[in-house]
Order: sequence, then C-alpha cells, then structure tokens
Amino acid sequence: MPQLTMTDMYKAYGATVALKSGQIALHPGELHVIMGANGSGKSTLCKILAGSVKPDGGRIELNGKEITISGPKAARDLGVSIFYQELSLSKNRSVAENILARDLPCRAGFVDRKAVLARAEKVFAPFRDVAGDDFDLKTRVGDLRPDQRQLVEIAKTFAGGARIFIFDEPTSALDRAQTEAFFRELDRRKAEGASIVFISHRMEEVFEIGDRVTVIRDGETVSSAPLAETTRDRIVAEMVGGETGASVFADPPAAPVPGPEKLRVQGLTSRRLRDVSFTLHAGEVLGLGGLHGQGQSDLLRALFGLEPLDGTLTLDGAPITLPSPRRAIRQGFGYISGDRQSDGAISGRSIFENVVPIHLFKTRAFFVNHATLSAEVDRVLAILATRHGGRMAPISSLSGGNQQKVIISRWLMDETGVLLLDDPTKGIDLATKLELFALIRSLADKGMAILLYSSEDAELLANSDRILVFNNGAVVQELQGNDRTRTQLTRAAFEAA
Amino acid sequence: MTLPSLLRKMPPFMPVLIILICMFALNGLAEPNSLSPYALKGLISTYLALMFLSVGQTIVIFAADIDLSVGAILGLVNVTLVSMMQVLGGEPAGIFAAMAIALAVGAGCGLLNGILVVVLRLQAIVATFGTSVLFLGLALWIMPVAGTPAPRLFWRTFGGRIAGIPFAYFVLAGLLVLIVLLSRSRFVPRLLTVGDDQLAAYQTGLPVQSIRVRGYVACGIFAALAGFCITGDTASGDPNVGGLITLNSVAAAVLGGAALSGGVGTLFGSVLGSLVIGLVGSLVFFLGTPSEWQNLVQGLTVLAALMVGILFGGKARA
Amino acid sequence: MSMATFRPILIAGGLVVALMIAGELVSPGFASPEQILRLSIVAALLGIVAAGQNLVILGGREGIDLSVGGVISLSALVAGNVMNGLDAGLLPAILACVAVGAIFGLLNGLGVTLLRIPPLVMTLGMLGVLQGLLVVARNGIPSGRAAPMLSDFVSQPQWLGLPGILWLWALIGLAMAGLLGRTVFGQRIFAIGANEPAARLAGVPTRLTRTMLYVLSGVFSAIAGLCILGYSGSSFANVGGQYMLSSIIAVVLGGTPLSGGRGGYTGTMIGALLLVVLQGLLTTLSIEESGRQIIFGSALIVLLLFYGRSSGMRV
Repeated sequence: MPQLTMTDMYKAYGATVALKSGQIALHPGELHVIMGANGSGKSTLCKILAGSVKPDGGRIELNGKEITISGPKAARDLGVSIFYQELSLSKNRSVAENILARDLPCRAGFVDRKAVLARAEKVFAPFRDVAGDDFDLKTRVGDLRPDQRQLVEIAKTFAGGARIFIFDEPTSALDRAQTEAFFRELDRRKAEGASIVFISHRMEEVFEIGDRVTVIRDGETVSSAPLAETTRDRIVAEMVGGETGASVFADPPAAPVPGPEKLRVQGLTSRRLRDVSFTLHAGEVLGLGGLHGQGQSDLLRALFGLEPLDGTLTLDGAPITLPSPRRAIRQGFGYISGDRQSDGAISGRSIFENVVPIHLFKTRAFFVNHATLSAEVDRVLAILATRHGGRMAPISSLSGGNQQKVIISRWLMDETGVLLLDDPTKGIDLATKLELFALIRSLADKGMAILLYSSEDAELLANSDRILVFNNGAVVQELQGNDRTRTQLTRAAFEAA
Repeated sequence: MTLPSLLRKMPPFMPVLIILICMFALNGLAEPNSLSPYALKGLISTYLALMFLSVGQTIVIFAADIDLSVGAILGLVNVTLVSMMQVLGGEPAGIFAAMAIALAVGAGCGLLNGILVVVLRLQAIVATFGTSVLFLGLALWIMPVAGTPAPRLFWRTFGGRIAGIPFAYFVLAGLLVLIVLLSRSRFVPRLLTVGDDQLAAYQTGLPVQSIRVRGYVACGIFAALAGFCITGDTASGDPNVGGLITLNSVAAAVLGGAALSGGVGTLFGSVLGSLVIGLVGSLVFFLGTPSEWQNLVQGLTVLAALMVGILFGGKARA
Repeated sequence: MSMATFRPILIAGGLVVALMIAGELVSPGFASPEQILRLSIVAALLGIVAAGQNLVILGGREGIDLSVGGVISLSALVAGNVMNGLDAGLLPAILACVAVGAIFGLLNGLGVTLLRIPPLVMTLGMLGVLQGLLVVARNGIPSGRAAPMLSDFVSQPQWLGLPGILWLWALIGLAMAGLLGRTVFGQRIFAIGANEPAARLAGVPTRLTRTMLYVLSGVFSAIAGLCILGYSGSSFANVGGQYMLSSIIAVVLGGTPLSGGRGGYTGTMIGALLLVVLQGLLTTLSIEESGRQIIFGSALIVLLLFYGRSSGMRV
C-alpha cells in the first residue's frame, strides 16, 4: 500500500493553471523521481505536499486516510520535509542553528548550545568530509559558498524525524564528491523506510538513484513507471509530448562569414578575471564555456560597466571605457541576465514600462509620449512573437519565457551593437528556448555582435560560432569549427582545472 | 585576518560599545564630576525607561517589524499604574496589584498591535501609529489632566537605596538578567530567523505568525516596565509622558546594531544605545554648550553616531 | 488607470462623502460651503506635505521621510522672518523656503543613496537636527509674521470664490499626475521603487533619481510650511510636528503601499481630505478630548483594514 497518494491535484493562479491534474503515489523505501519541463507543475505538486502552496482541488491520503495540509508547519508535523530549490536558510544565523531551526534543542526553556552543536554535528556528519576544510558549524550561513549552503539545506531537510523527503533540484551547486555523499545518505534513508521525492534535470542522476519515475507535462501526470521499465528516450518523449526538443541540442551552426571587427578586448583584468583577450565580429555569436562560475558572467557584467576593470577595450576601432551601465548603454552595449526576478523584470509594472526605459534613456527624452511609443513597443514585441494580454498588463502576468522576451525587446527599439547574454534562457521551457535562440541567430544575421554564456553546454554548442573556454577567470582555449564538440568542450574545461 | 572578516566576527554591539566608551571618556574630560557615582545614578535612573523601551522595540525589530506605539503604551501604563495605586491604596499589596494590572495593560496593547500587524497584515508603521492615537485617547480617558501623584512608597523605593546601593542599579541588573535569559531562550533566535527571511522561516515550518505576535506582546510588556520606571522617576501620572520617547527607542535600537530590515542585532546593544543617547545629552551639557545650542548639538551627534554605527555594522554584514 | 489603483480612491472618496453627510446630520452646518472650504484648506496643507512623502514612498527601498515636520517648522520660521509681515518680502521668502527644503532634502537623499543609511533612520536623525536648529533659531529671533498677501492667498476667496491655496493644490495634483504618468522621471520613480537593480540595468540613474525624491519632499514640505504660516498668521514652535505621521497615513489611505513602486498622488489627495474631514467631524462632536482620540485611532485602524493589507505567505 502506498504511504501517501495525491490524486487530481489542481492549482490555478488567476487564469494561469499551474497544475491541472497531478497524481503521485509514494511507497516507503522508494526514491520517486518527478520529471517534467519547466513550468510543467512538478514544483507546484511538491510545494502542495510541503504545505507552502494551497491546492484548489484534489485529494491527499496519508496511510489510507484523507488529510488536509494547512501549512508548512502542519506538513512537517505529518512527517513531510522539503528541500527548497531557492533554499530556506537564514543568512545571519549559524549553520547549526539553521540545520535545527525548526526545533532548537532546549533545556529548562533555554537553548542548549552544546546540544545544538552536537545534534547539528550528527545530522551533518554524512557531508562533513565533502564540505571543505573551512567549513564550520558555527559559521554564519551568509559567509558560506553556494555549494556549502546547498549542503546545509540538505542537512536541514534531513534533520528531525520526517518520513517523506522532497528534494527539488538539490544537486545544482554540488560537485561530484558532494553529490555522491548526498546519494549515500539518500540510500541510507531509503533503507530505513523513508519515501523520497526527487526532482532533477540531470538524466544521468535520475537513472543512477531512482526507483520509479513520474512524468508531468502541462500540469498533468502523463506516466508513472519503475525506472527499470523505461528508457531515457521514452521519458524525453513523454516530457515534450508532440513537440520535439531536438534542435536545441542540434549540431553547431556553420560558421558565418565574419563581419567587420566590432569589439576588441585586450588584457582585461578585474576582481575575477585574469588577462582576458579576444575579438568579437559583427554578425557573430561568441560562446563563453567552461565549468560554472569561472568568470563568464563576470566578463559580461564587466563589459556592461557593472564591475571595475583594467585593460584595453576597442569598439569599432576606437578606444572606449565602461565605468557604468549607463555609459555602456550609450556605447551600444545591451545586457540580458537569466536572473529575471532580480536583474531583469521591473516587477509589478506594465509591459510597456518594461520595454521603453532603454529607448527613453538613449533618446534623452523628458516626456513619455504614449501614443508614439506604443506603436514602437508593439512592433518589437511582435518581432519576438511575445504572447501577452495587452501592453499595459503587468509583466508579472507573463510566463518566464515571455517576460524574458519583453526584456530582450528593450534592446531592439534602438540599435544595439553588442549584446551580452548572461545565461538568458535559465528556467525557460524548451519551446520558448528554441524561439529565443532562433531570434538570437537572426539578430546576429542582421549584424549584431553577440556574447553568449549558457549554463547548459548543449545550448552553447548548438548556438555559438566560436567558444572561449574559461577557467578560474582566464580563457584557456578557443574552440572553432569542428572542434566545437561536447567532448572537446568538456576536455578543455577540465584539463586546465 | 582581513578587516572585513574581523568586523564580521565581532559582536554586533561592538561599534556602539566603542561609541559609548568614547562618550564616557569625553564626559570625564569635560567634567570629571560627570562620572561620579551620584551623576551616574542620575543618568541611569533617568534613562532606565528608554533602556526598557528600546529593548522592547528591538524585539519587534528583530522580526523586521516596528512599533511606533511604545511611547503611547508607556503613557497608558503610567496613568493606569498611578490611578490604580490611588484606588487600591499606597500599601505594598495595592502597589503590586496595580503593577500587575498595568503590566497586563501593556501586554494587551502589544497583543492588539500584534493582531493588527501580523494576523490582519496591516503595515506596521501606520497600524502602530493608529494604535498609538487610540492608546493616548485611553490614557486621557483614565487621567484627563496630568499631575496625579504616585504613592510615596513607590517613588521613594525607586529613588532610594537598598543596603547602600541605589535601587535603580537593582532595576538595571534585573533588566540585564532579563536580557540574558531572553537571549538564551528559543524566543530570540526564532525572532531573528523570522526577521532574516520571513518566507524561508515559514517554509521551514516555524509558526511565523505566533512568533511575531509574541514579539509584539513582549514589546508591550517591556513598554509597561518602562512605564514603571517613568512613574518612579517622575512620581506622577501624565498621559502625554511618552511623547518623544518612541523615536528615541528606534534610534537606540539602530545605534545598538539592530537592522530595521530584521534578523540582526542584540538586546544588549540597545541598552548601550540608550546610554549613548543619554550620555550625548549630558556631554552637551557638560561641554558648556549654550542652552539653546544643546538640542542641535545633540541631534547632530545622534545622527553622526547612527551613521557611524550603520556604516561599520553594514560593512560587517556585506 | 487600472482598477487596483482606482479602488482605494473610490473607497476613500465615498467615505469623505459619507462623513460629510454624517457630520451634517450630527451637527447641522458641518457641510455648509464655508465649512467645506475651511476643511479643504486644511486638507490642502496636509496634501502638499503628502505629495513629497508620496514620492519618497513610491521610490521604494523602505522610502519614508520623517523629517517633514522639522522642515515645515523651520521653513515657516524662516519665511516669517524674511517677509516679516510685508508683501514685498514674499518673493525672497518663497525662495528662502525652497532653498531650506531643498538643502535638507538633499542631505537626506545623499545619506540614503551614498551612505546607504536606511531612510527611516536617516530622516529620523535629520528630524533631531532640525528640531535642535529650531531651538537655536528661535532664540532671540521673533517668530515673524505672514505677509497679508500670503494670508489672503491661503484663507481668502480669490478666483472663482476659492482661495489661492486650493488652486495651488489642484495645480500640484495635475503636476504630480503629469510627472508620474507622462515623464521619464516619473517612470524612473516607479522603476526604482519596483526593482532597483533591474532599473539600474535598464539605464535608470538610480541614485540621482532617489536623491531627487528626497529633495522634492523637502521642497514640498517647505512650501507647506510657508502656507501654514499664512494660515496661522505667525509661526509657533513645532507647527510641523503633527504632519510627520499624518502625511504617511494620507499616502497609505490613498492606496500607495509603503513598499513602493505602486500607487499615485490622486489617491493621496483624497486620503488627505478623508483624514481632515474625519478630524473635523470629531472636533465638532461635543465629547471629551479622550473620546475624540479613541474614535480617531479606532477609525484609522478600521480605514487601514480596507486597504494597505499585504498578502499572505501561502499562495
């Protein structure tokens, strides 16, 4: 008998249906993988179980009895513990206090500091060896590295006697050794009879540790089967449905005839960058590759005037300096971040107000002329085939992909010479990704020079004319022509490491 | 060790402690008598009320809330206490009964604030301003004109000595013990966790609403204790006594290293912050500043101290 | 204008009318033209202060200006001494006031943007400085008198039977609507209020914009101080004190949440009217001061329950 079942779970935000018909049955001692494209509703399903999202319909049964989950505290009391992708840590509290936040050990009404350390030590023990030498349970969480924070969130999830664990992309910041330590702990918990829900985009991982897989598409559970009885291809087919996701992972494009030199960077050095030099031509998409966080984003941010830099920059043959984003914009640079919520969308404001600021800045306008601007806004939104409910609707009413289109369209109202793309398709579904990359290529074809960083190697390979491979702030190799293969890219990234 | 990491390792009340020591030193230089036991006792008994009040304010600030009604609660408690003592008589039994009632009034005010801000989700600044008008009205209703005297036993005890030690020092010691107990309890870490990131605390499974409401109740209780001190110090009831003290309680908390955005700070720091505000006043006086300039110099010094505290504290947290 | 911004205005407007009717029923003459005119003048004084407060709040990042009361008092004192009861001194007095407001607003703005001091702390500290300055300034300086022209401007019917200050308020209302809705600066205010990092990446000069908001708040408070001098004839100690929190309340009652990035001034104008009519009604009732305060406090809380509520954590 399943330990927990969720049937016909339904959740809508206004007109947007996040989850149409979610089903899942969890068995003790089983690791249950949920797979689905972004926005398919898998996180919503998990958050309903964890109590942080209130369902609009459906039935949840625990050990055969129907239950309602009134909030995260109620979920924990029922024995459900969740790892939050965006982490649920207090950055000003110590590691130990965070791990035991829900239930600090007390003696006679006072926090027993020794017991806090001892218990946190015990919970964290499985990860102690992989957490790094500088790791200490008394450290403030805000001072930890991203991978250490993720380990703390994992330990926090395991702390306290839960029977059902939910992990929503728990390994994104972890290295191999850390991931293996985590998997060993998962196995141990499974052996103790816990049910584990696991969300991941990494197919290898899924087949390594999963027992059963449920696929969700467009808010509906489409299949649920033991992993031994399914294949990667079948899971992908079920995830994308009728559409084929093939072309994002297509072969590298044929190198275009290089246009005139647009940007020349010589000996660029900043806080994170060491002596970076390259040239970028008009009409070219230059990819930035390598392991995560080796300086790719730092280069893009430095070129947009967000970080102080040393070195020589030449644009269209003339030397330039980039002390601020405003100067960079005037020079014809455009920057798009994958981190839409913090760096892209002017949340709560209209689509119109999200499209026009660059144009208003460039034209040094004083008044906003709605009549003339509206036509322009509609024009650029149409170029991107943005689906929206009127240009005065708030940008937050759009899906992630369409929000990103609105932000890109900012740079299309006037001429942008160099477009800096900092993981622009992060968290965007497959179909919209395809549209965005087609658009990026068409912008290049019109003569724009583009620097592209993507956290997914396949995307980078499929869309870059050349690739600069980064390691520890420096360019270690340039891949061209037929060298642009997964093997070469991986080798270049790891060899220097 | 680099400066930023050093700054990060120090307790959040370090900047205010340094400022406080400077203030004491400057006071001593300007007028050696200002550090005499007599002067110190005067300083402590005058600023005890602010210390209690700012500790209460800090408790709500920990959770990223704010309470602009603390001064009004203090006034309401002051008139309640004096009126009840008058009704129940100036004997110890009557006085204790009146104190219990007044304490309950403070807790009740805090509970009302908590319900409005946390349960009904009103914006803390405006909601507690609304309740401060209400509390002031209630205080005026209880005592329309200022001046009813407190029983002799009450203010004589507060201003007197026990075994040769001024009573104010016992109250201060009591406050410090209370702070240590609170800081070691589960309550303060939980408030700080909620203030750090409310959503994260909620998702962790902490009872966020009940923690915040309890913060407001604790703040009301501290405001009541501050009201006792004021009553002992002024020996009479005055509904308007809490006029300007609210903003000082916020300033003392910020001086003490608490961040208005929540999640950072210590209760002890706010006690030090209150003392700094008190010492600024006495320093200005002892420096022989012409009386009309005293407020300005005091205002400038407090502003400068706030800036210094935030700039150093801010670096430590960056 | 979307429904979300329009609803609070509708509620507040409806309440103003309802209170006027209630007032007329309780004490006949409350809704007489003279009385309405008087209440409107008081509301205009509050409304002008609230315009600056409104801008600072719209700019987000916990924007708030607690120093408005100090600027008002200082500006009234400066103006009273510069004009000293003479019409000829009016123009220099206006210039002096605007300068006073701009200087203290600029100091607030620089503290908030360059030193990154939280606005509540910065403006609170500035309030302390201003109050100290007032004590210094009052020592040996007479409180000064309003020029007759200024007094007439504030309280005597001038064009179409309305005093100048109401026309000024209407003008400010139009200017604010134009500023927020039709200018690049206005869009930038909303942008930094909604998401400052994103606004910076979209070419918004975030520090300059935010500093300007505090300067404008100072200037609006100074203008209000000038008008308050005209209303009362001479400046008295701490005349501005009551405006600190009531200006914030007017903004919130008008549908601009303290979180910033959303709202407008039209609602704030109605919010100021609502606050003043409510106070006026309580004054006409023959009850004790305590009862008045109790009713006013309770009414504020009930009004805030209509709007100004934030959303819950569980979605």
